[in-house]
Amino acid sequence: MAEIETFYDVMRRQGITRRSFMKYCALTASALGLGPAFVPKIANAMETKPRTPVIWVHGLECTCCSESFIRSAHPLAKDVVLSMISLDYDDTLMAAAGHAAEAAFEETIEKYRGNYILAVEGNPPLNEDGMFCISGGKPFVEKLKYAAKDAKAIISWGACASYGCVQAAKPNPTQATPVHKVITDKPIIKVPGCPPIAEVMTGVITYMLTFDRLPELDRQGRPAMFYGQRIHDKCYRRPHFDAGQFVEEWDDDGARKGYCLYKMGCKGPTTYNACSTVRWNEGVSFPIQSGHGCIGCSEDGFWDQGTFYDRVTDLTQFGVEKNADQIGLAAAGVVGGGIALHAAVSALKSAQSKAQKSPSKTNEEA
Amino acid sequence: MTERSLLVGPFNRVEGDLEIRLEIKDGRVAQAYANSPMFRGFEIMMLGKSPMDALTITPRICGICSISQSSAASAALGSMAGLPPAPQGALAAAIMHGVENLCDHLTHFNLFFCADFARAAYAGRPWHDRAVTRFTAMEGSAVRACVEARAQILHIVGLLGGKWPHTLAIQPGGVTRAPTPRDRIRMTSTLAAFRRYLEGTLFGAPIEDFAGLTRAADLTGWTLGDAGLFMEIAEDLGLADMGHGSGRFLSFGAYPQPEGRAFAAGTWDNGTLGTVDTAEIREDLSHAWMLGEARHPTEGRTDPDEDMQAPAYSWCKAPRLAGRTVETGALARQVIDGHPAARDLAAGGANVRARVAGRLLEIARTQILLEGWVSALQTDAPFITDVALPDAGSGEGLVEAARGALGHWIKVEKGRIAGYQIVAPTTWNFSPRDAAGTPGPVEAALEGAPVGPGEETPLSVQHIVRSFDPCMVCTVH
Repeated sequence: MAEIETFYDVMRRQGITRRSFMKYCALTASALGLGPAFVPKIANAMETKPRTPVIWVHGLECTCCSESFIRSAHPLAKDVVLSMISLDYDDTLMAAAGHAAEAAFEETIEKYRGNYILAVEGNPPLNEDGMFCISGGKPFVEKLKYAAKDAKAIISWGACASYGCVQAAKPNPTQATPVHKVITDKPIIKVPGCPPIAEVMTGVITYMLTFDRLPELDRQGRPAMFYGQRIHDKCYRRPHFDAGQFVEEWDDDGARKGYCLYKMGCKGPTTYNACSTVRWNEGVSFPIQSGHGCIGCSEDGFWDQGTFYDRVTDLTQFGVEKNADQIGLAAAGVVGGGIALHAAVSALKSAQSKAQKSPSKTNEEA
Repeated sequence: MTERSLLVGPFNRVEGDLEIRLEIKDGRVAQAYANSPMFRGFEIMMLGKSPMDALTITPRICGICSISQSSAASAALGSMAGLPPAPQGALAAAIMHGVENLCDHLTHFNLFFCADFARAAYAGRPWHDRAVTRFTAMEGSAVRACVEARAQILHIVGLLGGKWPHTLAIQPGGVTRAPTPRDRIRMTSTLAAFRRYLEGTLFGAPIEDFAGLTRAADLTGWTLGDAGLFMEIAEDLGLADMGHGSGRFLSFGAYPQPEGRAFAAGTWDNGTLGTVDTAEIREDLSHAWMLGEARHPTEGRTDPDEDMQAPAYSWCKAPRLAGRTVETGALARQVIDGHPAARDLAAGGANVRARVAGRLLEIARTQILLEGWVSALQTDAPFITDVALPDAGSGEGLVEAARGALGHWIKVEKGRIAGYQIVAPTTWNFSPRDAAGTPGPVEAALEGAPVGPGEETPLSVQHIVRSFDPCMVCTVH
């Protein structure tokens, strides 16, 4: 196999200073909910381990995951991750085109056989032999299987790859099918959301590159560190829920006062994601903060649960203190991803990462 | 010279999947066939759903034009209800939409289009070293600066809309969040920073200087910033002689406000300005893998032909306005809105250079609009009105996405969606042939493009196709 440089080599080549590098390691540790003791470990891993190649493919999707990814919070984080994984093959961003692009795809698989991570954005449609999504003259499902065969692990980016997302909405015209139903013999980590939060994406990928293993997953195969808690549990409007103060219609007095959006159909009480802690667009906000309820886009089947403005009615069956795993055990019809179940990261860790990650830097700098 | 046929694709650095078949004769493209190979069936999924669900589902057609889709869906619902949004809500929606369009233009210029100039095939050209430094895919200095500047300005959408992509805040009655005075200050400072980026990097001069150019020669002779580098390259490579358009443009008009649209709606036919009559739209299915007759979108159906029978070669329907093809996009918008330099530039019809220059002009003008809009926000005014949707009715939502005219047509019966049709900008630009055999705009623009012997992915074809900034995920949905 060809010799591969370390992450640090790649970073040096990109002109990233030692100081920035250490800062990045510290940020990563906090984003992952790890203590300061992990900073030198991350740094050491990056200096000594060969960089893990990534192949990024697109099926039925809207590219919102890529869009989210290239907008990660810390510019350095984005730079580092981009240069680390080098996106050896990414058909939206790469330079090559046409046959050259296909050749690069083959070459990457050949060169890093058994060693690369396959990142999948979107999913394969299986109806009509996969003819609804053709890439390089072949159905995407074939390309996916081909690329998966020699991959070390697979990341299912977003609700599309994880669950099917809106293109799987009834009647699912193309039979859009999540990745884990097509690829069954590889470790798969699901990073759902439509799209996933940028920091969650870079956090997951950095963890895998640094420690060379999957992070702890919940029952559904999602990284527990980011999907361990309900949006409702960390929502800044939660006190209003507890006090029975609700928005009754758009822009009423309650809306102006930031009351709870439960009656407007907010799915925060049943949705596991980091929106209310990490937030969006570099920590600026998240849907509930914009006065619109959560639609539950990181949950399986969110697209076919009646209208998005229907009130959640099965709320009373579980308490605030429960985590996704316990709910998953209780709720019928939740299918495990076949991956070992670990305890969810404690609330303390998430709170800690929030405190370390929420400087208002973006505010004044802008 | 021999004749041969060439399959170019998958195209990367375009949004979504695209494949183009070229028939080559005497070293030039004789015929081109654009195939959009991805179909998801959004119009089918909408049937039977609550009309309000259009606001959540249709934006997910596209992760880079999601606010355009959301605005069109909300406009269609609003038109069905017969009520305009709260004026300040329309203003807030325009700000979000303007930011998204601005970002799309920047992404196109820096990430998708100019990367081709860094190709080894251009080594030795006087500008090549600079192009490599600035525009190399994923690594160029302009690419990095652009990605960072975009992330910053998208804070505005974050503030007003909670999250981007797939913002939920835009509703038929306005927006769900009334910005606070603090938000306004923050948006003002974000825009000021973005202006510094544009003036320092893209234009190399005050934005007003670029936006205020009145002659095509001043625009194409611009020497400052990355815009200047592009103009130099365009001149050297003869991009003005590539990818000729029909000279017919369409714009639905961008950013509806109570006093009108900030960029005017209209049609343009080689020097003649006209009004848009959407009743004249038909989607032709003769060369699409779709069953049925050519229909107006209100009567339109989406019934994929699973046998994929010839002569069809794309999932894309072929929209025609009064039976003819039209080109849509930033250049069309600027020409129809009456920008003198854009009209001068497009005097002989569109071409590769004119399309990119039109986009640059629009970047400058949109920044100025955004600054005005943010200062016009009245944070104590209502930002949303109560819009009750009727149980039955139909609506038409017309907006301008970055890539051009976007329309949603909705029909509701018994409180459920009975018909939903979407005609996206790239559906117009990348449409296949119609029943009369007339090629779509990009197919026509490719005819005559030079193809060197042995060239498998002809550079001219790359430039022409990308000059339209295709968004293939919107095209077929």
